[in-house]
Amino acid sequence: MLDGRTADGAAISLRGLEKRFGSLAAVDDVSIDIESGEFLALLGPSGSGKSTILMSLAGFERPTKGQILIDGVDCTPLPPHKRNIGMVFQHYTLFPHLSVVENVAFPLKMRKVAKSERIRRAEAALKTVRLEGYGQRAPKQLSGGQQQRVALARAIVYNPRVLLMDEPLSALDKNLREEMQLEIKRLHSELGITVVFVTHDQGEALTMADRVAILKEGRLQQISPARELYERPANLFAASFIGEMNQIPVDYDGGVVRLGGGQAIALPQEALVQPVPPGKAVLAVRPERVRLVDATSADALPVRLRDVVYAGAGTLVIGDLADGTEIRARIPSADSADLRAGTTLHMGFPPGAMLLYGGGAA
Amino acid sequence: MNSRSLLLNAYVYAVLAFVLVPIIIILPMAFSDTNYLTFPPEGFTLHWFGDFFGNSRWMKALRFSAEIAALTALVTTVVGTMACYALVRGAGRIGALFQGLLIGPIVVPHIALAVALYLFFQKTGLSGTVAGYVFAHSVIAMPFVVFTVAAALTSVDPALEDAAMSCGATRFTAFRLVTLPLILPNVLSGGLFAFIISFDEPVIAFFLAGIRDKTLPRMMFDNIEQNLTPVIPAIAVLLTCLSILVLVGAALLRRASVRTTAAPAQD
Repeated sequence: MLDGRTADGAAISLRGLEKRFGSLAAVDDVSIDIESGEFLALLGPSGSGKSTILMSLAGFERPTKGQILIDGVDCTPLPPHKRNIGMVFQHYTLFPHLSVVENVAFPLKMRKVAKSERIRRAEAALKTVRLEGYGQRAPKQLSGGQQQRVALARAIVYNPRVLLMDEPLSALDKNLREEMQLEIKRLHSELGITVVFVTHDQGEALTMADRVAILKEGRLQQISPARELYERPANLFAASFIGEMNQIPVDYDGGVVRLGGGQAIALPQEALVQPVPPGKAVLAVRPERVRLVDATSADALPVRLRDVVYAGAGTLVIGDLADGTEIRARIPSADSADLRAGTTLHMGFPPGAMLLYGGGAA
Repeated sequence: MNSRSLLLNAYVYAVLAFVLVPIIIILPMAFSDTNYLTFPPEGFTLHWFGDFFGNSRWMKALRFSAEIAALTALVTTVVGTMACYALVRGAGRIGALFQGLLIGPIVVPHIALAVALYLFFQKTGLSGTVAGYVFAHSVIAMPFVVFTVAAALTSVDPALEDAAMSCGATRFTAFRLVTLPLILPNVLSGGLFAFIISFDEPVIAFFLAGIRDKTLPRMMFDNIEQNLTPVIPAIAVLLTCLSILVLVGAALLRRASVRTTAAPAQD
């Protein structure tokens, strides 16, 4: 445990943040309120503006419009070294000419902490990231995962109230990444620090964050806890960006949707996350919610099987609806033994699994 | 060994011989026990080295050259490192323009540069002054410093300075404590090059020399015109040794820089 740590992280408020590079808006009117001690993931494809938001928070980018408040104080014009924010970068950014413990002590040196105190606190921070005894090594003697843990120790050694992470695990291999995800989560709950974490890996975002903010082309699409994001995505982009999603073009008359093949399905009210005007719409269903049903069942849709992909516990079934729309189902492998490509079977959507979005497919 | 590589080897040795023979010929002439230059040398004496070190005019020229060379090294490393930082880290077309201009002193004949500086210094009163020499030698030494430092700076991740700033360092402190130590071997090596370029420089010195203060190469020219004694090859031997020392020093420094900036271990 680190000395003299403050009990909780800072509250952050982004208000109408905009960053333009020429005519291109990298960040376009983004407002997010982050609670004290929250773990927020910024998730999006490359070019979505997630890194630009983080760099604005850190002070490396000056937003063209909007404000950044940390604990109610406007930090928008402050340079990075005056923000008192911890940061872990995407690449290994340990100073190669300094030993591990000197790296970790660097922020304390900048804060004019006496040398013996510096070393003591740096060793304590190394212990927090479970690298006790590695202090005298050179950074390049450590593995990638160890280097990022040293970078983490360096970012928390001065008890900042905010920790920013810019895809810190993207350079690590899969096993190490999962181990580090748990490590960072543990540190978060131990330190009570506010964390803003940029990633393009949805699994990482869902696993680690209290809330996930989805960005696309500089605009905030949705900000929700993981479960809500997955089960009730606010729009088709969020729906298709997180996990897999079947998208079936339909006609909506205000209560019933009609598929291309002519079948009609009555929708429950909760299928509409947001109001959808009658007309062209998209019916969205997660593959793992699709059921195989009897031909006699009321909601049975005939599906011509194209592929049956066995993958251990589950099997992915890919087929076409009557109008040619591709549909995927993930079913337990125990139920899939006698499925053959080329045959026709029937699939059904449970009422709670259906979501309806206005407009065309994404 | 096939005939092609045999030819290539012969060619390489011919070029090496062409470069080295003048140096090898001048070396023994410095030890010749005659009052005039002769090859092969007759006898053996260290008399000419003693003549050089015992002569106050030679020593004055040596001190003057050393002072100018040291100041040139200082000016070019400070200004050159700053310029290099702007070139490597800065963005935009101005950087590319400066990079082009920097090659200028290498491609423009020194005689042209010397005439231009001579006319300019006549007007500004810099002729024959230490400041004038340092200015002129800095112009010709600058590209070597900038390119030497650039080689190191491009291999230093700019994110290191961002990391230092996120730790609470100002941009200058981040440069001083992180980037500078990493490029220091190349900065020093660039400084050594600047020193030797200035120390050996004859053409500009010829135009800028005042009546009293002359650099060592200029004094050698004067001496050659008046009485050609083996003190000239003796000085040449000393200058060659200095150059070799500087080259070895620069090579050692660069090896040190490779050690500190080498890639991290992979998992």
